[in-house]
Amino acid sequence: MNANTWQIILTIIQYFFLIFSISAITSYILLGIISAIETRSYMKKNSFVNYKEILSSPFSPSISIIAPAYNESLNIVENVRSLLSSHYVNYDVIIVNDGSKDDSLEKLIKAYDLIQIDIPINEQIKTKPLRGGVYKSTNPAFDKLIVVDKENGGKADALNMGLNISKNKYVASIDVDCLLLEDALQKLIKPFLEITDQKVIAAGGVIRIANSCTIKDGKLLEINFPNKWLEQGQILEYLRAFLLGRMAWSRLNGLLVISGAFGLFDKKIAIEVGGYDTNTVGEDMEIIVRMRRHMQEINQKYKVAYIPDPLCWTEAPDNYKTFISQRNRWTRGTIETLKKHKKIGFNKKYFSLGLLSYPYWFIFERMAPIVEVAGLIYFGILIFFDYVRWDYSLSFILLAYSFSVLFSIVAIISEELTYNQYKKKKIGIKLIIISFLEPIVNHPFILYAAIKGNIEYYFYKKIEWGTMTRKGMGNT
Amino acid sequence: MNEYNFILQYFNQFPLIIKVVWITSVILMTNVFILIIYLRYLRNKLRVKSSLESKCQMYFESSLITYLYSGNEEEDFSIEQKKIIKELKGVTSEAFKRKVLIATLLKLRNEITGEIADSIDKLYIELGLLQYPLSKLRHKKWDVIANAIRELTLFQVKGIQSVVMKNINHPKKEVRKEMQLYLVQLFTFKGLEFLNLLQTPLSEWDQIQLLEILQKSDDQDITDIKPWLKSTNESVVSFALKLARLYNQYEVKDEIIALLNHKNELIRVNAIESLNHLNVLEAKVVLKSNFIETSLDEQIAFVKMLENTYESSDKFFLLDYRNHENQEIKLIIMEIMKNLNFEEYYLYDTELFEDITNKKTTA
Repeated sequence: MNANTWQIILTIIQYFFLIFSISAITSYILLGIISAIETRSYMKKNSFVNYKEILSSPFSPSISIIAPAYNESLNIVENVRSLLSSHYVNYDVIIVNDGSKDDSLEKLIKAYDLIQIDIPINEQIKTKPLRGGVYKSTNPAFDKLIVVDKENGGKADALNMGLNISKNKYVASIDVDCLLLEDALQKLIKPFLEITDQKVIAAGGVIRIANSCTIKDGKLLEINFPNKWLEQGQILEYLRAFLLGRMAWSRLNGLLVISGAFGLFDKKIAIEVGGYDTNTVGEDMEIIVRMRRHMQEINQKYKVAYIPDPLCWTEAPDNYKTFISQRNRWTRGTIETLKKHKKIGFNKKYFSLGLLSYPYWFIFERMAPIVEVAGLIYFGILIFFDYVRWDYSLSFILLAYSFSVLFSIVAIISEELTYNQYKKKKIGIKLIIISFLEPIVNHPFILYAAIKGNIEYYFYKKIEWGTMTRKGMGNT
Repeated sequence: MNEYNFILQYFNQFPLIIKVVWITSVILMTNVFILIIYLRYLRNKLRVKSSLESKCQMYFESSLITYLYSGNEEEDFSIEQKKIIKELKGVTSEAFKRKVLIATLLKLRNEITGEIADSIDKLYIELGLLQYPLSKLRHKKWDVIANAIRELTLFQVKGIQSVVMKNINHPKKEVRKEMQLYLVQLFTFKGLEFLNLLQTPLSEWDQIQLLEILQKSDDQDITDIKPWLKSTNESVVSFALKLARLYNQYEVKDEIIALLNHKNELIRVNAIESLNHLNVLEAKVVLKSNFIETSLDEQIAFVKMLENTYESSDKFFLLDYRNHENQEIKLIIMEIMKNLNFEEYYLYDTELFEDITNKKTTA
């Protein structure tokens, strides 16, 4: 190859990176604008909503909260108490003890006066068999609680068991360690009851990070801001994702994921599509994509709803090891789901799902870390051969950095104008500082985890959840 | 100056794309700093607003409580009350304070009932606050209209229903909903007459809100719901079916049975559920004869009805469908059979019996 050919190749590579970056920035700007429109509209409409009436009505639809638990002995009793304290009228809580090796079940039996019962199980989805059986409380105060003890099969399998046990019309999947706000169910059921021209198949809301918050007896008493940059960075990341990203996708009816931490589903549709996929670590995204695909294929108008209200508070990783493990799992989940449903991608038969949502996720979620790392390697080669024009490079680095900071600041302003949860003095300045630091202190680890996820997916195809060492949110 | 010229010259020698990138970066960074200043201003503003709001609210609460307990029976308003009215009137011209005053009045109104609540409604009129929502009823912004109707509802302002009713088929559902709540809150069952004219769908959410208001009302004298059961608006039919269940309207059973042939599956299912609730045994004959042609949801609704209304004459029907392909139907049928005559049932199928018991530790 002569020098001219090399020059052409280098130019093509450079233009590829340039076009990719411009497309990513443009998509973020568009999502930000759409999100602002949607949030404004939602806040205006929501100011007329009265959530009280749904609480006492005999016509309130029935909901089952399904919470899989695996070795959650440390906080299981407090966490279940939090789930039982919802203000909603017509619901039950199904705790699926997924073959825990600790004393979770014994603690639950003792705390809630549980006894084993015989109930018919409508096994519509194949799951691992029961181990200890099904338990209910003898205490009327815990009448809403059902505990299922089964053999270990993973989170998706436990959720499927919950779907089989539930006799209710809607099911809410929740991580047992999540702190569910008392009004979360009535807020999340609203889209299912309100939208008349489409069938709502699933709904999700905002998940917030509870690290450093004051929690007592399953109730959030005080919102605080953690001191570690890693945790602060995740708070900012969640604000961006939930207030800007998902809100926009909701308006476009293009949401591909409802957070596994808390989401509400139409049980009939969830069962029709076969329940949660036990062969993926991204079961929360996979089931949504499958439900959407199913609705498109049967040609029925549908919506995956999303509300910007904070509904659930969860503990985020506070060390880099757990953080990387979590992000690694998210990456593998995305790869698995997109690969499994590749038929949808760029397929006009699936309309916006095939031509907008799927391509966006594929290009800007699935491929972005790979492109970014390729860019870094290319940049390294240029430095090695002393081909770098630093005045050019700095301009692009500054552009990417300024855009990242700007996007974070917009997310913070959006939070202030809507829910204004971080009211305490000094949190504002901390949020601004972390906006500048987050691209440096969090992003490289996210990138590393994503690449690790890709490598593990292609070279070590073992399904593994990874462990999250929890400090627990009970009486934090 | 020389340095400035040097930078400018250096910048000018860049290709256009690099110039654009530099300029964009500077614009973005400038925006970042402007937004940071705005964020600081916003946080301060929200904090000040919140503090001012709570101060105003405390002041208004104290004045209103004094007002409520300083009345006497001899005159419309006591001297003390007149003084408070004069004071409060002074703040109604300021939009912010007026908003807080109305919120405080509403807060108090929701906490009390009877004569004291009426006294608050009277004060609302006396303070001249009524003119504001009335002037907004024909506003071009939908949220202003909806807010105005809501205020009128909460302060129980009657006599303007013809104006409010004009929004019956308003393009925004929030306005329609406020109109419906106004009519039902103030006129209960008579207020439901809007259903005769409603062309837009009444969502399940709205139906629940209306039913709850009706249930909490003192007036429990339900009007004739037959016309609504025959409505061309399917959501009105669905609402009427709920009314039939809630108020045990056995006298409309024929209309409900007629709905078993409705073109909308959900209405048919709701009709079966209502017949179940009302214990209309004669419907079972129709439902049994059509069972095979009905949808799965209708079949499930019917076997659930049988669960509550089973008789020994249902045995042959149950035996016919005891091996139904749907597990839920099968389980319900077995439960009924068990209740009807357990021993006889047990002879029919011992294998099925295992299905209804817990599948414990069968790895």
